[in-house]
Amino acid sequence: MKRTRVFQITVLLLVIVAAVQVGYWLFDQHQQGVEKTAGLTRLYDQESAAAGTMLAAGLPVAQVQALFPDLAVSADHVELAPAHRAELVAEQQRRMTQYLWEGGFFLFALFLCIGAIFIALRGEKRVLNEQEQFLALVSHQFKTPLASLQLSLETMGLRQLPPERSKALMDRMLSDLTRMEAMVGQILDSSRLSHGRMELKTEAVRLDAAVSRVVSQYLERAQTDHISIESQIPSQLEVLSDPIALDAVVRNILENALAAVAPVGGGKVLLTARALDAEVELVVRDSGIGFRPADQPQLFRKFSRLNAGAGSSYYGTGLGLFIVQRLMQLTGGRVSASSEGLGRGAEFLLHWPRVVEHS
Amino acid sequence: MNAPAYHVMVVEDDPHLAAGVVENLRAEGYAVDTVGDGRKAVEWFESHHCDLLVLDVMLPGMDGFAVCSTLRERGTKTPVLFLTARGDAADRIRGLEAGGDDYLAKPFHLQEFLLRVRAILRRWDWYRASARTQGSDVLKFAGNEVDFRAFRGRSWNGEEQELTEKEAMILKVLAEKPGEIVSREDLLEKVWGYDVFPSTRTVDNFILKLRKRFERDPATPVHFLTVWGVGYRFLSGDGS
Repeated sequence: MKRTRVFQITVLLLVIVAAVQVGYWLFDQHQQGVEKTAGLTRLYDQESAAAGTMLAAGLPVAQVQALFPDLAVSADHVELAPAHRAELVAEQQRRMTQYLWEGGFFLFALFLCIGAIFIALRGEKRVLNEQEQFLALVSHQFKTPLASLQLSLETMGLRQLPPERSKALMDRMLSDLTRMEAMVGQILDSSRLSHGRMELKTEAVRLDAAVSRVVSQYLERAQTDHISIESQIPSQLEVLSDPIALDAVVRNILENALAAVAPVGGGKVLLTARALDAEVELVVRDSGIGFRPADQPQLFRKFSRLNAGAGSSYYGTGLGLFIVQRLMQLTGGRVSASSEGLGRGAEFLLHWPRVVEHS
Repeated sequence: MNAPAYHVMVVEDDPHLAAGVVENLRAEGYAVDTVGDGRKAVEWFESHHCDLLVLDVMLPGMDGFAVCSTLRERGTKTPVLFLTARGDAADRIRGLEAGGDDYLAKPFHLQEFLLRVRAILRRWDWYRASARTQGSDVLKFAGNEVDFRAFRGRSWNGEEQELTEKEAMILKVLAEKPGEIVSREDLLEKVWGYDVFPSTRTVDNFILKLRKRFERDPATPVHFLTVWGVGYRFLSGDGS
């Protein structure tokens, strides 16, 4: 919005400057064309008349010529000297060239600004579209757990259920609430990240502790979906990151992996880590739905859901991997992903700066 | 209350919602099957049959609208109740154009859902029963012939006609009262039930389709007559 306003003001200024310039040209042209030419014409007429009279009075041509150096005098003819005429024409041409250059520059600047405004407006439209799409998606994603909650409650209200069935329904409702809570968290995180309102620290964090804390929160869900989570992180590995950001990254990457494995009826998620020269690498490999290698560039884009629906049963806001990438960038790390194709699992590589050991 | 013979297929990818819907339908006495994927649903229909399909729109594999159109193209007449988070008017119309019978937006009320399921099945019962019992499974008028059970017909010029289930039901309602005025509201209630459509104009569109199929000159109809401001009248004679 701000950018467009700046461009609008710039164009307005340009138009004002151009108008002033055009006014000056008109004035200049008037000066040159009317006043100067009229003066010269008058002078030329007077001098011609005088020269003509002198010639008629019998003065020698050479003498008359010497008296009127601006004129070309011959025995029967008086006219403006060719050098003088050329000078006037050259002056006129010089001005025309000046007008052309100046006009061309203003037109160029004007078109440049219009182009910039056009691009800015298109960018704004894209942002608006994204926001609309986001709202539609968020409301859609919330409606499914809401519908499930309402259905469970109304089932309890409508039917006489044995205690174990009531317990199962309550567990289902709690799980729906957890699902919505996680979605709200993701939406807030992504909103903060988009507006750059996140203060991040950089400190040494133990990777194995961070990973195992997150993994423990997902074991129950993984078990329900027949997924085994295996974590092999050497205990001495420390990364430079923000502890909260690291937690969010691991949580989102693990959620993504679980959502990818659940639709194929279960499988495995393996987390391994190792120290590289200046970095620590965490590899998250899953046996899930995978993605087409051609879709790789879209993977980390906001709202991008490659297998729309396939992983939508849980947390499908299309924000998880966007959050991962932004947080990795902000904490000096990076993330990449690869898959051999649909149905062939996926591998996510996360790199953080490594804590330099004191020797 | 419900004949246990009714078989309902639930296509919903959210495991919780699917479980809730399935449990409630079973508690009402229906036999229920469920899948969580659009393509699997289409595959299921290749070798199975059911009385009602409860269909989510946003599905993995293939969305609900595509599932419904594919089934209709393949000649499956099973009534479809769409169940989806996308509840705006444009989406409802899209669902019904794809061949759906009813549309319920999430989150929905359990009792309303059960009522709608019952209503769809009741409408189909009426259609099947009336197509079967009164010896009126075949309608013949002015050289046209319609087989209500096969959803097929032949028009006056010998052209084979494949009717949609809605066209067949409308024709059935009209043909049951030849010469009498049937209001648009009656048609809506009998064929669709509830407030599925935003306007009664939808009925008009179906009448236009019937005229195209069976009138010699659809612009000056002699069988499907409009009674201005009220509804329609069906005349079986050739109008001469």
